Amino acid sequence: MVKFSEEKLKEVSELISHYPEGKQKSALLPLLHIAQEEFGNWLDVPVMDYVAELLNIEPIEVYEVATFYSMYNLKPVGKYMFEVCQTGPCMLRGSDDIIAYIEEKLGIKPGETTPDGMFTLKTVECLGACGYAPMMQLGKHYREHLTKEKVDRLIEECRTNANSLN
Amino acid sequence: MAIKKVLLEKDHVEGIRYYETYRREGGYRSVEKAFKMSPADIVEEVKKSGLRGRGGAGFPTGMKWSFIAKPEGVPRHLVCNADESEPGTFKDRYLMEFIPHLLIEGLIVSSYALGSNTTYIYIRGEYAWIVDILEQAIAEAKNNGWLGKNIVGSGFDCEIYVQRGAGAYICGEETALIESLEGKRGNPRIKPPFPAVKGVWERPTVVNNVETLAAVVPIINMGGEEYAKIGVGRSTGTKLISACGNINNPGVYEIDMTISVEEFIFSDEYCGGIPNGKRLKACIPGGSSVPILPANLLLKTAKGEQRMMNYESLSDGGFATGTMMGSGGFIVFDEDQCVVRHTLTLARFYRHESCGQCSPCREGTGWMEKILKNIEYGKGKMSDIDLLWDIQSKIEGNTICPLGDAAAWPVAAAIRHFRDEFEWHVLNPDEAQTRNFGLAHYADELAVTA
Ligand SMILES: Cc1cc2nc3c(=O)[nH]c(=O)nc-3n(C[C@H](O)[C@H](O)[C@H](O)COP(=O)(O)O)c2cc1C
Ligand code: SF4
Ligand code: FES
Repeated sequence: MVKFSEEKLKEVSELISHYPEGKQKSALLPLLHIAQEEFGNWLDVPVMDYVAELLNIEPIEVYEVATFYSMYNLKPVGKYMFEVCQTGPCMLRGSDDIIAYIEEKLGIKPGETTPDGMFTLKTVECLGACGYAPMMQLGKHYREHLTKEKVDRLIEECRTNANSLN
Repeated sequence: MAIKKVLLEKDHVEGIRYYETYRREGGYRSVEKAFKMSPADIVEEVKKSGLRGRGGAGFPTGMKWSFIAKPEGVPRHLVCNADESEPGTFKDRYLMEFIPHLLIEGLIVSSYALGSNTTYIYIRGEYAWIVDILEQAIAEAKNNGWLGKNIVGSGFDCEIYVQRGAGAYICGEETALIESLEGKRGNPRIKPPFPAVKGVWERPTVVNNVETLAAVVPIINMGGEEYAKIGVGRSTGTKLISACGNINNPGVYEIDMTISVEEFIFSDEYCGGIPNGKRLKACIPGGSSVPILPANLLLKTAKGEQRMMNYESLSDGGFATGTMMGSGGFIVFDEDQCVVRHTLTLARFYRHESCGQCSPCREGTGWMEKILKNIEYGKGKMSDIDLLWDIQSKIEGNTICPLGDAAAWPVAAAIRHFRDEFEWHVLNPDEAQTRNFGLAHYADELAVTA
């Protein structure tokens, strides 16, 4: 069943308390972030319905928002998502080559996930790291000044982490 | 020439991210000083400082603050715009990441000036780790009595909350940001009513950029008149520039607006010139939305004067031969770069980020991307260049929010100044896949790039 832990529920009420009485809908974006982290890195319909219930709003209000913002995944994604920036300033510093290299290494195109469910490659637009290009977001953090060697190491690092988690 | 830094003066002091060090280095003095003044006096100081919004539009901050409505019994809100998503721009990130207390300090003073007891920082969702940094700084400030009830005995109450966005450039537009803060899609609102009258939850709201609000700290500390002495003309104070692209020292620089573009690009104190002995071809000096200029027009205005790094000089010549200061996202192109390809990435960006409410923007951005793709990949026709021009001209001025203009301008400027490069792509479709059009005459008459 879709349900937050007690601890997460406390976080939810804390978030709701940031907004005026009756304006709890304002907590929707932060709540969807938490829900995505808690329930497998994507927003399945029951998860969105649960969030609607928590905020006492209609499910459609949640779907509307979840479909608008690019950080919410509406389909399952790999354990590790490489979100590589492809916008102009990164392109000037070789992001095209980095994307091509990752495609080749992982055998997937942007938008796809490796068959083992380990990696998803996603191309994204400017992440505010243009001076440290090429770059990608991996989870909560940025990986900057990417080179092919760094990409190799990153893939290794993810595989090692995944193994140690098992 | 050493310039006066008022924002990043202390950014290299070890531990400046944390309260103890920040306070020891003189932090939070402006709050103490502000509480001895009336809110109206603070607005007056900000007016005197000549501070202009650092988010891109350059609107005078003091004037904006004086517009806020004050209906009886209705709470007002200050919202800090930390959405920072304009390609080329990463200055607010630097400030929040390395000197978070400067922003918190500026927010407390500004909240007091505007009468905001609950203030929000709306930050782009991808800056997830910066949320933690800001929340820690807020907790430290609160533990030391700078936030909460009756701040340092002033009688003023204030809380600051961080709200994370979720990946949408349009939420940087202030009314879209307000919608998003209310838990909705980021669809910009039709103005009027302006946020100063009806903003978040229909309450009077002021939205200001991170850098703008941080600048309030030195303004209060030194006084508006002193602050106005930095810089030149109507470009008072300092400006953060995030420099990227083909330069030796990408990064964030605080400049006073009296230096020339040439010095900024070639001096070792700033960008440090172009790597690998290449020459300068072009530059977008104020974030992806402002017009690109070829090297010759970038360094000298059409009148033959040195172009300077300030609002007036950058826009000298209008869109025909000038550009804009914008958000300070400074993107440099070396001679190997393809303007058509770069413009294509920007067109894709705007298509991706259009909220879809107005047809000229929704349809126009899609068409521009499609046509640019054809030209870039060797399937373009000569007539496509005119079609592209025609489409961009029909978006500009015909939309609810300025994203439409922001999408049109880069395409217009690329065609205006680099038309021969577009034509070359059409005439040499195969060659265009492997080779770049190069410098052509864009760098003519330049002494400095050798
Ligand atoms: C499409 C679009 C995106 C914008 N993005 C930002 C942004 O990321 N950060 C910002 O401060 N202002 C952004 N702005 C400008 C804001 O609408 C607003 O003018 C600004 O936050 C006002 O603050 P300021 O006066 O301190 O600059 C954007 C505007 C538009 C039209
Ligand atoms: S101009 Fe574009 S982004 Fe702005 S409201 Fe219209 S469709 Fe939305
Ligand atoms: S263009 Fe890639 S981070 Fe800005």
